[in-house]
Amino acid sequence: MSTLRNLFKHHKLEMVMVLPLLLFILGFTLYPVLQCIFYSFQDPVSGAFPTLENYRVIVGNRKFGDALKNTILVTFIGLTLEMGTGMLVALLLTTKSRFRGFFRAITMIPMGVPTIVSGVIMLYIFSSNGYLNEFLYRLGLIKLPIDWAQGGLRTLLMIAVADMWKVTPLVIILLLSGLESIPADVYEASAIDGASPAQNFFRITLPLIKPFFTIALILRAIDAFRIFELPMVLAGRNTMFLGTYAYSEYFDYNNIHASGAASTILLIVIALFVFGYILTVGSREVDQ
Amino acid sequence: MKRTLRFLFGLALLSLVFSLVTAAAPKSIKVIMGLAEEEWKVMRELVFPAFEKEHNVKIEAYQAEAQDTEKILEARVRANRMDIDLIAQDNMRLATLVEKDLVEELSAYRSLIPATVYPSLVEVGEFDGKLYFMPYRPNVEIAFYNSAKFAQYGLELPTNWDQLFEVAKFFYEKEGVGRVAIKADLSSCTAAHLFDFCRSAGGDPVVLNDKGCFEAFMFLQKLWPYLSPDSKTANWNFMNQHIATESVYLGQNWPFGMNVIVKDGGKKEVLAYQGWRGPVKESHVLGGEVIGIPKGAPNKMLAIELAKYLISKEVQEILTTHNGWPAVRSDAYGKVAAWQQPYFDAINEALANAEARPNLVYYGAVEKAMNEAFRECVIEGEPVKPTLEKWAKYIEDNKR
Amino acid sequence: MKTVRQTDLALVKRTRNRKELYRAFSRSIRVLFIALTIFFILAPILLLIKISVSAPQDILTQHPPFLIKNFTWSHWRKVLAAGHIWVPLWKSIVVATFVALFGIIVAAPGAYVISRLPRKIKYGVLLAIFSTRMFPEVGIALPISVIFVRWGLVDTNLGLILAHLIKVLPLMAWILTGTFDSIPKDLEQSALVDGCDKVQALAKVVLPLSLTGMAAASILCWLESWNEFTYAVYLCLAESTLPIKTYYYVRRGNWFESAAYAVFLTIPVMVVTFLLQKYMRNDYLSGAIKY
Repeated sequence: MSTLRNLFKHHKLEMVMVLPLLLFILGFTLYPVLQCIFYSFQDPVSGAFPTLENYRVIVGNRKFGDALKNTILVTFIGLTLEMGTGMLVALLLTTKSRFRGFFRAITMIPMGVPTIVSGVIMLYIFSSNGYLNEFLYRLGLIKLPIDWAQGGLRTLLMIAVADMWKVTPLVIILLLSGLESIPADVYEASAIDGASPAQNFFRITLPLIKPFFTIALILRAIDAFRIFELPMVLAGRNTMFLGTYAYSEYFDYNNIHASGAASTILLIVIALFVFGYILTVGSREVDQ
Repeated sequence: MKRTLRFLFGLALLSLVFSLVTAAAPKSIKVIMGLAEEEWKVMRELVFPAFEKEHNVKIEAYQAEAQDTEKILEARVRANRMDIDLIAQDNMRLATLVEKDLVEELSAYRSLIPATVYPSLVEVGEFDGKLYFMPYRPNVEIAFYNSAKFAQYGLELPTNWDQLFEVAKFFYEKEGVGRVAIKADLSSCTAAHLFDFCRSAGGDPVVLNDKGCFEAFMFLQKLWPYLSPDSKTANWNFMNQHIATESVYLGQNWPFGMNVIVKDGGKKEVLAYQGWRGPVKESHVLGGEVIGIPKGAPNKMLAIELAKYLISKEVQEILTTHNGWPAVRSDAYGKVAAWQQPYFDAINEALANAEARPNLVYYGAVEKAMNEAFRECVIEGEPVKPTLEKWAKYIEDNKR
Repeated sequence: MKTVRQTDLALVKRTRNRKELYRAFSRSIRVLFIALTIFFILAPILLLIKISVSAPQDILTQHPPFLIKNFTWSHWRKVLAAGHIWVPLWKSIVVATFVALFGIIVAAPGAYVISRLPRKIKYGVLLAIFSTRMFPEVGIALPISVIFVRWGLVDTNLGLILAHLIKVLPLMAWILTGTFDSIPKDLEQSALVDGCDKVQALAKVVLPLSLTGMAAASILCWLESWNEFTYAVYLCLAESTLPIKTYYYVRRGNWFESAAYAVFLTIPVMVVTFLLQKYMRNDYLSGAIKY
């Protein structure tokens, strides 16, 4: 208690700065989150607490294993695509050009489209007589429409690509603000040393924007793990994800306990990923 | 001190009187419905004004889809701040409202339901013998088909399972891709389909491991490879899109599809008929909407009056004439628009064989069991009997 | 003085040529890549625009044409005549703008403090804040909304702004902590040595340096609020936001109206991103470092 008082005494300004943020977020969300976790340990019929019954039922369901696998796979595929393209586009956007402002504004557009609308657009593109199949058909590559929602890797790839359209701008903005904060004289110095662009990128750019890379990656990872609307529109509930699972137990089957258990497992998966990333890849940047 | 007390007392009294006055003369009544734009127009211009004039109130009506209505009510009930007086809700989603205790029991007002209202429609609103919802609008799925494609191949419309299978197979073999679709996105739409299939084979989906259900699932398992791949994303919304874009030539959906596909989309070749019968009988899930009063509605009595008004003969006739909705009572005759007539006929024929779903508070578990069994047997090809036994046990375990 | 040999000159010339060639090559690759990116970003939007101005028979067919064949304004006319556009648009803009503004005001100071914490505590605090975003919204949106309903904030902008802030603040805190992390501590220290007090050092050194990060964070938050849907369902009834209106047409299956709405949704996005991206320049940087 006295340490707390000391903290207040010596860091009055800091406390005033940080408390509104903490109180606002935790004040509103801590209880609902804990409540949800509580439900997940409560028996749906008898109301007994604590019980692992919900988890036992969920994990025993073969579909849940698929959902877990799909979630991890789609996150992995999606992140690779998004971070890769995001980096390329961000690099392009830093080069001086008359159209830079215009180009930047264009890259941001998809973010302003609500997910459900982007789902509908993507359904126009990926449904069995959608525009992608039509394009392939006109090129003479296919005779019969490809069923993108068939399941397996093909469907995961479709969902990752569809999601990518909407979210890569976020990666671009963040990487760009990182790139913009690199002082130009760093490059001037390396130009004198005669470094090639590739060397520049790996030796200077990448290490310097690593904090921003981490920010973008983790933000994206958290949302990618929770994906549910897009797959529901594009592939139905047949290709399951943890987010879809939690949603469908909650709203379709009115089972807050199973939904809470799926949500909690998702929270653990995300937390493991974030911690794992920060502890391994992110550590050096944190030390400085 | 005394003066302050007296002042406070006076203030309290005044506010009490004021609240009494305001409660006695409500100025507005809040209503939630899920309607299309044209249907809203009919409500606002032809239905509401007479009631507003008679009772000297303003009806504030807002749009919300069935699932959102649930959310809106739940948030308000939990916050103990109900400001909504009446809802018109899809009868496919009533169990949640009752289980979460979001609506008032209306058994005391049962006598307000006119004798000419079809009895099966009243059953829809009953849980454990108690009335929670007033009948308001019957509905049933009809089978939309692309008449141009059927004519092109000289095909007859399938009226039983064997013919349905033949037609699906025919399209698949002719075009290389399935053109008959069912709503298999594994949402409540799929469960509604399964009710049709199981019952028309003499089964009961709530039991799930009876002979009829085995037969229905085995048939679906056989049919699945010949169905359109778009079945997997088809629900009540996207089914229309698949039919309208000619990805699907035959599929069942709710009649509002005629407004979307034919009226807005201009696909005049898409017609409808009542669908097919199973080996035992023809059966369709009785859908539609019912009226409910949210728990703690501020103007309950007025809401009851409005409910009474909405099922009155004159309103029902307006709704038939302008929206193409079948009437809730046998003595209401509306004249539907000429272009709607063929679809309206199909609806009435299907309605003749419509059966309500049982109202169970554990309906969520039943729906889950049906959908999961469908996924495992039909989509993934697992053997039917053990799978249905497994999920029948799940229903047993979750009976409350 | 050495005489330059002929061969050396040739060599210089050749390498210069090669360099120019390389430059031209990389330039055209870049242009191609930019063109491709623009195409992929715009293609779905163009598709929407196409649908919103096409006669039904262009869209509702097995092999839809890629170009507009039968042009019509009728869907747009319907959407404008329905009268659901301007009020929701204004509401969406007001809410999103205040969310971005309040978000920066609340998150920036907090993020600064967090970024200056010892490493272990820092990540603890950050993850605590962020854990609320790691949790699927399905379970927690209802209890959170109940609080606002209880406070009588249904159909008010304030209620929606507060609800959106819950979603947006963790995101902002995360981005801004990263931004402040990348600002060297020595800069502040030297300002303190020069006789600034803590607040002055923050305002004069840290603030200008973090402007690019703040611009990025506020764009993200503006957009996040702009297309937010879950809380809007709970908290809007009479006055809804633009996404809810769009969703109405989507769910009712009005392909053409929903396309028109979706196109309409993207216009303010272009305006806002175009305005805000101007602040994402590094001009501020040089000034601060000179300090």
